[in-house]
Amino acid sequence: MALLALEDLTVRFRTRGGTVHAVNGVSFDLEAGETLGLVGESGCGKTATGLAMLRLLPRPAGRVEGGRVVFAGRDLLSLSEAEMRDLRGREIAMVFQDPMTSLNPVLTIGTQLIETLVAHRQLRGAAARGRAIELLEIVGIPQAARSLRRYPHQFSGGMRQRVMIAIALALAPRLLIADEPTTALDVTIQAQVLELIEELTRESGTAVILITHDLGVVAGRTQRICVMYAGFVVETATTRQLFAAPRHPYTVGLLHSIPRPQATGIGELIPIEGAPPEQLTAPSGCPFAPRCAWRIAACWVDNPALVPLTRDGTVAGEVVNTGPQATHRLACHNPASAEEARAGRPLRPGFEAAPPPTDILAVQPAGSAA
Amino acid sequence: MTTPPMAQLAGPAGAEAAFRTGRRRRAVTTAGRVLANPLSAIGLVLALVLILIALAAPLLVPYDPLTIDAANRLLPPSPTHPFGTDEAGRDIFSRVLYGTRPSLLAATVILGLASVVGTVIGLVAGFRGGRVDELLMRLTDMFLAFPALVLAMGAAAALGPSFFNAMIAIAIVWWPWYARLVRGQVLHLKHELFVDAARVAGASERRIVLRHILPNCWTPIIVQMSLDVGYAILTMASLSFIGLGAQPPAPEWGAMVAVGRDYILDQPWYVAFPGMAIFVAVMAFNLLGDGLQEALSPRWRR
Ligand SMILES: Nc1ncnc2c1ncn2[C@@H]1O[C@H](COP(=O)(O)OP(=O)(O)OP(=O)(O)O)[C@@H](O)[C@H]1O
Ligand code: SF4
Ligand SMILES: [Mg+2]
Repeated sequence: MALLALEDLTVRFRTRGGTVHAVNGVSFDLEAGETLGLVGESGCGKTATGLAMLRLLPRPAGRVEGGRVVFAGRDLLSLSEAEMRDLRGREIAMVFQDPMTSLNPVLTIGTQLIETLVAHRQLRGAAARGRAIELLEIVGIPQAARSLRRYPHQFSGGMRQRVMIAIALALAPRLLIADEPTTALDVTIQAQVLELIEELTRESGTAVILITHDLGVVAGRTQRICVMYAGFVVETATTRQLFAAPRHPYTVGLLHSIPRPQATGIGELIPIEGAPPEQLTAPSGCPFAPRCAWRIAACWVDNPALVPLTRDGTVAGEVVNTGPQATHRLACHNPASAEEARAGRPLRPGFEAAPPPTDILAVQPAGSAA
Repeated sequence: MTTPPMAQLAGPAGAEAAFRTGRRRRAVTTAGRVLANPLSAIGLVLALVLILIALAAPLLVPYDPLTIDAANRLLPPSPTHPFGTDEAGRDIFSRVLYGTRPSLLAATVILGLASVVGTVIGLVAGFRGGRVDELLMRLTDMFLAFPALVLAMGAAAALGPSFFNAMIAIAIVWWPWYARLVRGQVLHLKHELFVDAARVAGASERRIVLRHILPNCWTPIIVQMSLDVGYAILTMASLSFIGLGAQPPAPEWGAMVAVGRDYILDQPWYVAFPGMAIFVAVMAFNLLGDGLQEALSPRWRR
């Protein structure tokens, strides 16, 4: 049985401006020690997915409205708050995007690091302090003993993120959710921090969900990838498979958006035109249709389901959810071929993206609340 | 995972001491910033002088503040009685010096009570939100709807005129400001990422409020308290002036001015000196409060 199984997770934010359909039936499995990249543009529901797993969605707007999060055999969504608290930090940890605000400005680094150790009654007093110093050394903070007494503002962003990693991994959790851990950092620091996470979680056998908007970040760092768009998983595969044979036009777009395309073997930089949808209503067709160069008439009216593929592109018989043999899955009516993926555009002679059906446009209430 | 060399494992005692040094250094920088502004420096010096006088009053005064000397009634200022004497021949200079005691005591008690009650209510209202917040804020608004002095007068009159009751009465009208202040802070702090980070680390709600949110409220509370000291002194003197606070012949500034009113035309120094004392004390703490606010405000926003 997998360590973590997300089953049809659905998250909505009820706001004054309407209901945001942030996560729409996301499912994936994760084996112990496995690493998964959760990739997509800003607003596609990556953070909401992570927070929902820990039951930390901002209240009262954010709510899980469906699905299950099964972790080590227990449905987290039905645990009591006390059970959940015991689990957070000890079994599942999370590192946030912004290291500048994820540490309390009026408490020392030591206080905040020791808090985790003490909260779960693992250690106390001098032993906790000793372990805290050890943890800071492990994440590469110079002068660890002195740093314990420093305040967050005395550290750079990279150092703070190292502290956050020390806090997250203090109790050797079984799962780490790293939410864009390097987005706020300098490029030179980014690789170091990613390597640190990789190294430490490999040593402790911690499974990792690495959230990022940059496919370049997960290249070679995670075993599998889920590509998300508008709250849906639109393509998932092993990292090798996804880079070698991306099929979803959005994945192809993301691959061509990596700032250093030579490194990934994919051709020229082609930005994805347009912006993600508002998600105030459930999409009637494929959510990517307005931006998609491959779309056909069906795309406007039918949102494709995520279905397994085999290597030759047909639907598979036997399905594997995790590990190096994980089945490639895709939600698309008109997938890109290998040549098209490399080129970043449809190559079929005379092919043109299907125009929106006029009747649908006429009926669609613009930005109305659900 | 690697084990660090034992030499690097600093003892808890050493770490604790250095931690305290860090705090002290922070206090020193704040004091430095207050002193950098001449007005707040004056406020700080005057406030310290007032506190010293209050502590050392018995050593400083030439006469007992309550001893009657019928032969020397209503004397004008002179080298023997620098501020003159009152209608019972008591030395006004000694009485004004002693007057620092009830004033500072009242300010401490009023603001202590008000800030503790207000902070607790503000923390609960802000953090709990929803109906609890609604209820507590309606209660707070009820208190704020009345003019403070009128409400304090009513409360003091209901409790019975005495110095102690006046302090309680003023504290009763004062806490809502702290409740509002702290609630406002909590409302914005509870959405800070570090609160989520603490939750992710497994901290309980109680721990989050007391350990993560409350310490972030200290600075605004302290600034507010330092701005309020002067007003608390003034309010206490006002209640004493209208007979609801300290009772003559207690050496309290407001009460002295109240009695001295009868002699204002022929012995103007009688009201002038306690009146000036009130003015100096209020001004000193207001200047200091402004300075503290200035010195701390850019800091606590990071
Ligand atoms: N507190 C909130 N109230 C209302 N809507 C929210 C809230 N938080 C997120 N959303 C909405 O939910 C959707 C998903 O947001 P989420 O933060 O999960 O995106 P993300 O993929 O993490 O993006 P980013 O890369 O910007 O972090 C977005 O449309 C966002 O506007
Ligand atoms: S081809 Fe159709 S289904 Fe596939 S991504 Fe484009 S619009 Fe969506
Ligand atoms: Mg996010």
